[in-house]
Amino acid sequence: MRVFSVSHKTAFVVDHCPYMAESSRQLIECDMLTKSRSQGVIPLAPVSKSLWTCAIECSMEYCRILYDIYPTKKLVNYIVSDSEVHILNSWKQQDQSTHELMAALAAVGPPNPRQDPECCSVLHGLVAAVESLCKITEYQHESRTALMDTADRVANRGRIVCLTNAKSDTHVRMLEDCVLETIQEQNKLAAGSDRLMPIQQCELVLVHIYPQGDDTLVSDRQKKELSSVLSSEVHSVRAGRYLACKLNVLVQQHFDLASTTITNIPMKPTLNVCEQEEQHANTSANYDVELLHHRDAHMEFIKSGDLHMAGSTSRDSGLKETVTLKWCTPRTNSVELHYCTGAYRISPVDVNSRPSSCLTNFLLNGRSVLLEQPRKSGSKVISHMLSSHGGEIFLHVLNSTRSTLEDPPSISEGCGGRVTDYRITDFGEFMRENRLTPFPDSMVDAAGRAPVERAKSQLERHTRYWPMIISQTTIFNMQAVVPLANLIVKDTLTDEDVLTCQKTVYNLVDMERKSDPLPISTVGSRGKGPKRDEQYRIMWNELETLVKTHVGTSERHQRVLECISACRSKPPEEEERKKRGRKREDKEDKTEKNGKDTEEKGWTTDSERLKGVMEREKDEQSECEIIKDSPDSPEPLNKKPRLATEEQQPPEKSKGPVSLLTLWTNRITQANSRKHQEFAGRLSSVNNKAELYQHLKEENGMDVHENGKTTR
Amino acid sequence: MPTVVLMDSSLSMTRPVSVEGSEEFQRKNLAVHGLTMLFEHMATNYRMEFTSLIAFSSLWELMVPFTRDYNTLQEALNNLEDYDKTCLEAALQGVSNVVQQEWGTACPCQVVLVTDGALGIGRGSLRHSLQTVKQRVEDKKFPLPFPFPSKFYVMCIANAEELQATDGMDNLEQLVNLNDGEGQIYTMEGPLCLKSVQSMFGKLIDQAYSPFHAVLRCGNLTSDVQVFPRPEPVIIDEEVDPLPKTVQTDLEIVGFIEIGDISSPPVLSRHLVLPIAVNKEGDEMGTGTSDETEEETSTNQMAGKSPNFCVLLHGSLKVEGMVALVQLGPDWFGMLYSQADSKKKSNLMMSLFEFGSEPLPWLGRISQLGPASDAAENPYGEDDSKSPFPIQPKHKRSYAQNVTVWIKASGLQTDVQKILRNARKLPEKTQTFYKELNRLRKAALAFGFWELLKNMAELLERECTLLPDSAHPDAAFQLSHAAQQLKLASSGDLKYAGFEHNITPMLTDFSGGGGGTERI
Repeated sequence: MRVFSVSHKTAFVVDHCPYMAESSRQLIECDMLTKSRSQGVIPLAPVSKSLWTCAIECSMEYCRILYDIYPTKKLVNYIVSDSEVHILNSWKQQDQSTHELMAALAAVGPPNPRQDPECCSVLHGLVAAVESLCKITEYQHESRTALMDTADRVANRGRIVCLTNAKSDTHVRMLEDCVLETIQEQNKLAAGSDRLMPIQQCELVLVHIYPQGDDTLVSDRQKKELSSVLSSEVHSVRAGRYLACKLNVLVQQHFDLASTTITNIPMKPTLNVCEQEEQHANTSANYDVELLHHRDAHMEFIKSGDLHMAGSTSRDSGLKETVTLKWCTPRTNSVELHYCTGAYRISPVDVNSRPSSCLTNFLLNGRSVLLEQPRKSGSKVISHMLSSHGGEIFLHVLNSTRSTLEDPPSISEGCGGRVTDYRITDFGEFMRENRLTPFPDSMVDAAGRAPVERAKSQLERHTRYWPMIISQTTIFNMQAVVPLANLIVKDTLTDEDVLTCQKTVYNLVDMERKSDPLPISTVGSRGKGPKRDEQYRIMWNELETLVKTHVGTSERHQRVLECISACRSKPPEEEERKKRGRKREDKEDKTEKNGKDTEEKGWTTDSERLKGVMEREKDEQSECEIIKDSPDSPEPLNKKPRLATEEQQPPEKSKGPVSLLTLWTNRITQANSRKHQEFAGRLSSVNNKAELYQHLKEENGMDVHENGKTTR
Repeated sequence: MPTVVLMDSSLSMTRPVSVEGSEEFQRKNLAVHGLTMLFEHMATNYRMEFTSLIAFSSLWELMVPFTRDYNTLQEALNNLEDYDKTCLEAALQGVSNVVQQEWGTACPCQVVLVTDGALGIGRGSLRHSLQTVKQRVEDKKFPLPFPFPSKFYVMCIANAEELQATDGMDNLEQLVNLNDGEGQIYTMEGPLCLKSVQSMFGKLIDQAYSPFHAVLRCGNLTSDVQVFPRPEPVIIDEEVDPLPKTVQTDLEIVGFIEIGDISSPPVLSRHLVLPIAVNKEGDEMGTGTSDETEEETSTNQMAGKSPNFCVLLHGSLKVEGMVALVQLGPDWFGMLYSQADSKKKSNLMMSLFEFGSEPLPWLGRISQLGPASDAAENPYGEDDSKSPFPIQPKHKRSYAQNVTVWIKASGLQTDVQKILRNARKLPEKTQTFYKELNRLRKAALAFGFWELLKNMAELLERECTLLPDSAHPDAAFQLSHAAQQLKLASSGDLKYAGFEHNITPMLTDFSGGGGGTERI
């Protein structure tokens, strides 16, 4: 695909000389009297369009289709030529609309038949068109600026569509020569300018229009290279509907379009949006609507050779092909994610016909329609879908062949697939909070970040502490914590927010005083689970962990942490217990990971683990002293939760099943160990090896090591 | 990307190669050895790949249809018989047919041709095919380029010197060029032996079958994943930006969007996102399928039991009916969503959008998408009843406005009749009457169709004379006023023929008995 192909720039040159005022001789009966009123009234004479009117309405139709399908990057410069040149718009994107062009055309008005034919010529327009093609478009400029030293990759190509009434083949030759000469001149000029670009390739499409009933003085000619830069083709067409068909074919050729006819559209009153004026509103007939779109929407047909099968020739012109797809009456608005390999804007061929507007209005109201493709084999398959997005209708190409991804292993068979207590609902809530929304182009924040960067940083903030499974967390299972948890992740807090957080903390203190139960998971535990004060200790630790990850955000975040630290302060010996508890807890983590081969194999929930912690604690009460001096103590309490996010794979997962002997030995050892005070070294050993001088490492600023392994 | 292995079973493949030492090998044995290595690699690292085996000589035969069962492929490979001469064109046609039948023409495929580089003689030889490639009629076209996107790899059980001595190499190169240059020729380096065939297939594996591992990230939540099939680089505009764009190995979630809002977007390709456990040696532990050794099973069980972000994400996306927007590289995005294969099985899937900052018009520029919480007012509404999507384009399309097209006579007639119908219902239909009248006036002025304006004026004047006695007096005033205005416009007088000018209803007052004072 090339952005700067010939179709990037189209210069329309329309002849405005006196002879274009001539009638096309296609008569239109405007005065169609209804029977009841016709007595005694002489009908008015029919009207006929001038050559000029025919040329304008067909070129507008060309532009209408073009702008419908390519709202950007395909530009038109519209030029009218008589004794002088009228340039109706520029290459600017904002000038690209049929409304603008129509207003400008109204100002020009029809050709003046009394103007001196000698000083009028379409040549002025052709020269202006070449000059215009040399002018750089905003897209070319942007691309050149972005490419810097490889700016020469940006090509300058274009097409001139000239609607005129030529005198003869020689006249046509003269026009071609003139264009060629002008290109050569302009290219020299452009080489020395910053705002101009030499033309590398130009297609001249000359359309000779003559009144109906006349013989043409100009012969058709296929595309021919006049030079390495210029190619030219000549079409000789009668005014009126022949011209309309020709330009319709041309717009398809020029912009890689193809035609699809939607067939079997039911126009029942319920589907009908524009029926008021129609008498047959109550009859249900099936209609066809022809649409144009990029031809890639037919890629599958073209390649598989189904094109001829599916297609029939368009009713309007014998020249082009259309693929027929059958309307499938839509089900209710189900939200479904189709596997769609392309979506192409459409434009109805006959935009204000009743069937067309019924179809487009139906789609614009938000319904989608699936389309069925008749196949060689006679089988039917849904191959396309029509759907509108924000007032634009797209033809979606649906994948209708076998998928290479069929029968994949289910996600439950892979990593993490056996875990059953994911916080699915909470994460759903998280996703809702992190939904995206468009911001105006100028929206950058104080730090100059684009909205998408702000979205990423919000995700980062919201996930600093986010346990993935229910049994890993206490605070997120507590309704009472919600206000604080929602606020603390914010980038900025107001004083009011801080107050809310503090209230949350006081509320928790209150709960603790009243010894309210906490939602610590007790599933599968033996006994009652951990004691109340232990539960609260865990809860406070977790809350502190959460808040600590945000403490650097602002001074107000800091105040929330201070509040927690102040409120949860405990008598000194309890502090000690806490520290040890934490240490023990970390150890327990280890045990759990290694634990598949020990008696503690069955401990799968926190509560059970906690029970163990506490049992041990009793036994080990007396070793306080030793542990108190441990260098581990000053480390913040947020070690354990980090495990959840940063270390998903337990380091020793590769151990196989254990023998009965090991199980027994472990059990005995454990039982024995409770009967005496364990050596500190052995207690913190791995494979009966204890690391000495651990504190040295830590003083050197390394991560805390415990039992010789990293805990994070 | 399914693979077709096209195995040369002609007699020349049975030529012996001299190997120092004991056993004597045929070229075929080397080929089988290489393919065995490829199949083993795929079975362990690329096991979602569909592969089929076609053997050919003067005829071709589909030995194994597309399958993920590499044992079957291996077995068929081991039992290959030897046939007559090489006739590549027919075999390539066969590949083309087999692939299209199974996957259509949109699915990219890899074709691995294994041959000794002796490409036949006389009619049916590759040389002959290539010489006549330009003289084909429509239904006997040369099968290359394949109608589906493809990579064409040629594995030569021969070394480069040998191939260059004949025109084998030239012909093969021409073949790859015919496939739009999509492909590569591999030859053996050094003596023809097991080692060099291994190294040759090793290169193919690195090139075409290396698994794509990445880290999926959502803020601080991460998971190691394999993306299958691996995303291939894309070229946007070969002229302005000829460098292929590749998907980076860091897949960063940007935010979330409802399925209804993303609305079946067009995608370049779809990929499974399979969480993997990376162990210390750095190779993956597999993504869980049937035949593993006991040890693997236990490690898999362990991995299955430790929480994984992918599973959490998948579960929530499925329940909420949402997709995650994921950044694949600078200016390249995709989406993650839950895809159900059957009622029970579902998976985390990733689709790649077209490269660029605005892949979906209805989302706008992705860099302008920010957190909804930053907006002054919740764009989704307090009760989730609204949505900021789709974005409305600046200009309405022709079918969404009331455009005037008179290319067909019926279009013009309808518009004229509409005005007359309203004219007969004046003054009740005054608004519609003038609306339609102005629409016609605008179009006639733009198209330089002044004759129509005059004609319309006459029609209105006549309508005025035909008014029944019972008609409201206002009707006559409005009709003659409108007719007069149209006539003025048809004169081209700038004062009356302005495009943006509208004919306004004549202000009349019949209530006060003043009797139609004109006030314009």
